[in-house]
Amino acid sequence: MTETSTTRAPGDHTVGAASPPRRTGSTPARQPPSAEHAPSAQHRAVIPSLRAQTYKSHIKPIWCPGCGHFGVLAALTKTLAYLELPPERIAVVSGIGCSSRLPAYLSVHGFHGLHGRALPLAAGLKAARPELTVIAAGGDGDGFSIGGNHFLHACRRNQDFTYIVMDNEVYGMTKGQASPTTQPDWHRSKLTPHGTGVRRFQPAAIALAAGASFIARGFAGDPAGLTRLLAAAIEHPGFAFVHVLSPCRTFRAEHHAWKQLVHPCERGPAEDIARAAELIQRDDGMALGILFEQQIPVYAPAVTTAAEQGQSDAAASAAALAALEAELCR
Amino acid sequence: MTDANERAAAARTDASLSVAVTGAGGSGAVTAGLILLEAVAAAGLYGLLRRSAGPQIRGGESAALLRFGPEPIHCAGDRCDLLAALDWANHARFADEIPLDAASLVLADPAAGAPPDAVSASAARVREAGFAASAREREGGRANMVAVGAVGALAGLPLEALLDAAGRTLSGKGEAVVAAAHACIDAGFALADPADRLLATVELYVPPPERWHITGNEAAGLGALRAGVRFVAAYPITPASEMLEWLAPRLPRVGGTLLQAEDELASVNMIVGSAFGGVPALTATSGPGLSLMQEGIGLAVASETPIVVVNVMRGGPSTGIPTKAEQSDLNAALYGLHGDAPHLVLAALDIADCAHTVAWAVRLAWRLQTAAIVLSDQSLGQSRAVCDPVSQALTRPARDATELRGPLLNSDAVYRRYAITADGVSPMSVPGEAGRAYTADGLEHDTEGAPSSRAADHAAQLDKRGRKLTVFDFGPDWAEILDHEDGTEADAGPCLCIVTFGAGRGAVVEAAERLRRDHPRVRTIALRLLAPLQRTALMAAMRDARVLVVEQNHGAQLFHYLHAEQALPAGARSLARPGPLPLRPAEIVAAATALLAEDRHDRD
Amino acid sequence: MKTSMQAGVVESVGELLAHALELEYASQAHYEQLADSMAVHHNTAVAELFSRLAVLSGEHAATVAARAGDTALPRIPPWEFKWECPHAPEGADCLDPAVSYGMSTVQAIELALHNERRGHAYYSQVATSASAPEARGLAAEMAAEEAEHILMLEQMLTEERRAYRDAPDDLDPPHTPA
Repeated sequence: MTETSTTRAPGDHTVGAASPPRRTGSTPARQPPSAEHAPSAQHRAVIPSLRAQTYKSHIKPIWCPGCGHFGVLAALTKTLAYLELPPERIAVVSGIGCSSRLPAYLSVHGFHGLHGRALPLAAGLKAARPELTVIAAGGDGDGFSIGGNHFLHACRRNQDFTYIVMDNEVYGMTKGQASPTTQPDWHRSKLTPHGTGVRRFQPAAIALAAGASFIARGFAGDPAGLTRLLAAAIEHPGFAFVHVLSPCRTFRAEHHAWKQLVHPCERGPAEDIARAAELIQRDDGMALGILFEQQIPVYAPAVTTAAEQGQSDAAASAAALAALEAELCR
Repeated sequence: MTDANERAAAARTDASLSVAVTGAGGSGAVTAGLILLEAVAAAGLYGLLRRSAGPQIRGGESAALLRFGPEPIHCAGDRCDLLAALDWANHARFADEIPLDAASLVLADPAAGAPPDAVSASAARVREAGFAASAREREGGRANMVAVGAVGALAGLPLEALLDAAGRTLSGKGEAVVAAAHACIDAGFALADPADRLLATVELYVPPPERWHITGNEAAGLGALRAGVRFVAAYPITPASEMLEWLAPRLPRVGGTLLQAEDELASVNMIVGSAFGGVPALTATSGPGLSLMQEGIGLAVASETPIVVVNVMRGGPSTGIPTKAEQSDLNAALYGLHGDAPHLVLAALDIADCAHTVAWAVRLAWRLQTAAIVLSDQSLGQSRAVCDPVSQALTRPARDATELRGPLLNSDAVYRRYAITADGVSPMSVPGEAGRAYTADGLEHDTEGAPSSRAADHAAQLDKRGRKLTVFDFGPDWAEILDHEDGTEADAGPCLCIVTFGAGRGAVVEAAERLRRDHPRVRTIALRLLAPLQRTALMAAMRDARVLVVEQNHGAQLFHYLHAEQALPAGARSLARPGPLPLRPAEIVAAATALLAEDRHDRD
Repeated sequence: MKTSMQAGVVESVGELLAHALELEYASQAHYEQLADSMAVHHNTAVAELFSRLAVLSGEHAATVAARAGDTALPRIPPWEFKWECPHAPEGADCLDPAVSYGMSTVQAIELALHNERRGHAYYSQVATSASAPEARGLAAEMAAEEAEHILMLEQMLTEERRAYRDAPDDLDPPHTPA
C-alpha cells in the first residue's frame, strides 16, 4: 500500500492555520474542488473548504422521498469531508439496485457496474490504483444474493477498501421482491405470496466466518453514528464491511419501527474472533456500532503506475521486459 | 536407399518430418518430445510440438507429436512418419491423432507386447527396438531417453544436438540424471538401423539462429506485457491457465500484478475496474469462462472501458473436450453479448502471432475504448514451437496508459466523458484527475454519463459506439493475405481463394502451397480481425475467385458469419469440421480440388 | 469517543459557530435533497417550497460564516457535535413518516417548523449553558433569529392550511400487493 488516509485520534481537532493545505480552498457548492484552487479571501483557513456538499453531484436521486439511502448519502459525504479526502482521489463502485445508484449522486469518480459485481470491480481498481480511496456500495440483493460469492471472497481477501451495504430487506428497483435478508414469512411480494420460507442471510456472521477484518452495523436514521462508522471503516487498513439498516419507505413501511428497535452494541467492538462470533450470534441484528475489528495483513497486489514509477523505474521496466523476452530465445 | 525408404520419402509432401513418442503416464513421452524439440532448435530447424494427454493429472497416457523441418511449421502434418511407442497403453486413444500408413515406420519395444490391431492394420513397417532393455543396462537409464536417441538418429538429428538438448532440458535434475540420459541417448542412437534413416543427418548449427522457443499461451502473455498490460485477473481453466501462470511471476518484474479471482464473473469485472483506473488489464479463459464473462464484456462496451479477454478455445459446448482445440467459440465471441454491443474480435494466426495479435488487441481496445476478445485455441496455446520471433516493431511497447488512451479533449468547460465526436471516441479520464470525475455506467447515459432512458441519448450513444469501430482505419493487419503463385500467369484459370481465421491459417497456407502445383493462382486469406469485419477489403481480396471457407468447427460459424455480412461471392463453399483432430493440409487440398474439378466439369 | 471537552457544554464562540454552521449547512443540504426528491417525483409545489427553504438556510449559513470572520473554528467530527437530541438537528428522512412523494405543502411547512423549533431550542439551551459568556450572548442572538424564522413559518402554515385542499388519491400507486 502506498498511501492511505492517515489515522487520526478522535478529538484531534485541526484548527485554523494549522490545517493541511488541501483544506484551505473555498469552492462554490457542487463544484468538485481541486487542491490547486485559490483560497477565498473571506474565510481563509477558518472554515473547512471540503463540505459534504462538495462531494455531491448535480444529479437528483431517484430514491423515494423518505428512503433510508438519503441518510447514507448524507453520512458518506460528511465522512469524506471530515476525512478531507480530495474528491479526485476517491472512487465509488456499485452494482445494480436502488442503493447502487449512489455513485451518480457523488462528485467523485464512480462506476455503476453490473448487478452483484461491485466487489470484484472495486478489487481490480484497488489493485491497479492502490493509492485511491475505494468504496464499494450496494444493496442486500446485490451484495448477498447475486453477488454472494464475491462477498465471501472479498472478506477473505482483505484488500484495503470499504464495502457499504444498504440493507432494506427488499428488492426495490424491481418493485418489492423478497431479498436474502427478508423474513421468511414476509408475504407481501407477488413473487412469494406465501413468504419465502427461507431463513435469512446473516451478513455480519457470514462476513466474520469469511474472514472480514472489520464489521460494523449502522442505521440510516442515525447519520451521526453512521458517519463515525464510515470514518472508521475507511481508515481501517483492510476490507471494511459496513452493514447499514436502511429503511424502504415504499415496500417495507414497517421499517418505521426500526428507530425504536436499534440500540448501541454495548459489548463491541470485539477484537477476538470467537468473542465476535458470540456477540454477533447473540445479537438481535439491531445492535449498532463496530462489531468486530482486527488488524491483519492487508492483501495488496499492486501495480506501480508509470506516474509513480518515475522515469528511471519506467526504464527499468523496459529493461525487465527485454530481459524477459531474451529468456524466450534459447 | 531401400524401397521402403523410397516409399517413405515419396509419402512426404515436403521437407518436414512428423514423429511421435507415446507411452503411459510417467514413461516420459512428453519429456522425450521436449528434448527432441530442443535438438531441432540446436540443429537450426523449425519445429512444432503438440501434445495429447488423457484427463488424468498424472499416470494417464500421453503422446508427444513433433513435426520439424527447414521451413517454419504451423500445423500438424497429414501423417506420421515415425512412431516410437514406449508401450501400447491406450494406444487406441491416439490412433486418430497419429495417422500411420504403409510408408510409416514404427519403433516398438518387444517388452511392451505385440502392437495393437490399429498399428498392424496400417501396414506400417514395425521395427523392434528394445528401449526398456537398453535402459536397464545403464545406471539410472530410462527407456524414453533411449527412444530419443533412436528417433533422433532416424530423423536425421545430430547426436550432439540430442545430447545438448537433453542437458538443457534435464539440467534441473542433477548431473547423474543428465549423465544417465546421455548414456541412453548414445545407446538409442546406436540402436537405430542406419538403413531405416528417414532423413540424412543434418549438421549441428553453431550458433543456433535466434528463434523463439515458445507456446501460444506464452506468446499471448508476452504480447500483453509488450502492449503495456500491467494488471491481470485470473481464474484457472484448461487450456488457458498456462498463459496466466506464465504472466504471474513476470508481471511484477515490469511493475504489474496478477490477482486470482473467485470466478470468471469476478475476473472480468476486476479487469474492468483496473482499466477504469487507467491501468491496461487483461484476462484469459476458455469457452465456459467466456460465457460467464459475457455480461462483463458488455459492461466494458457500454461503459467504454477498454478490456482484453483472451479466449483459448477448446471443444464445446459446455465442458466439451477441454484438452483439445476447436474453433467453435466464434459465434460466442461475435454474438454472445446482449443488446447492440459492437466490440472487437480478433484471432491469432499462429503461435508467435499470439504475441502480435494480443498486443494489437490491447492497443485497439484502448484506442477505441471498448472490449476486445482475442481467440486463440488449444492447438496454439499448449503447443510449443521453435519459430521466428515476432519483432518488437510489430508490437511496440506502450509507455503507459496515457499513451494508450490518447489525448484528452479540452473543449468543454463541463467534462463530457461520453461526448459525441466525429470518430466516436470520447475523452477518457482516470481517477486522480481533478475536475474530470464521472460515473462510468452500464446504464444508458447522456454525454456526461448521467443515466438516461431518452431515445435521443440511446440513439446517439449507440451510433457513437458503433461509429468508432467503423470509421477507424485498422490498417493492413486485419488479415494475412498470401498469393501462392507458380509464376505462370498465362491462362491462369479461376483463382481459388481459401479463407480461414485464427489457427486455421497453418493448414490452409500449407494446403495452398501444394495446390499451386496444379492450380496457378491460389490465394489464402487468414482473418486476424473478425469484428468489425473489414468487408470491403475482404471482398476486394477475394475478387471473383472461387472461395472455400475453412474452419475447425461443426457449425460452419465463419462461413455463416461471412454470409450474414454478405461478404461471400456466390458459390462459396464451406469446409467445416469439428475438433478434436487438427485441421490437416490434405483434407483442405482434397476439398479445394473437388471444388475446382466441379467447376471444370461445369465448364465442360 | 469522549473528547477533552466537557460533554454537552459549548465552551467557546468558535465552537458555537462551528455548530451553527453545521446546523445551517445540514439544513440547507436536507432541504435541497427534499426539493430534489419531490421534483423527481413530480410533487412540484412541495419541491418549490423546499427549494425556498434551502435558499433561506443557505443565507443563514452565509450569515454565520460572516459572523465567524477570522475566528478559528474547531474541527469537530460529525459524530461529536453537542446537539441536545441524539441526532443532528436536520434529522433523517426515514424517521419522519410525513416525508413521502405525496406529502403536502402543509406537511412540508410543519416539517420545517419542527426543525426551526429544534434549532431555537438548541440555541436557547446554549444561551444558558455555554461556559463562555460571549458564546452565551451569541447563542441568545441566534435564538432570537430562529424565533423570527419560526414566526415566519407559522404565518406560512396558517396561510397554507387555509388554502389547502385534500390531495386526491394516488391513481398510480407503487407496485405493492393489496
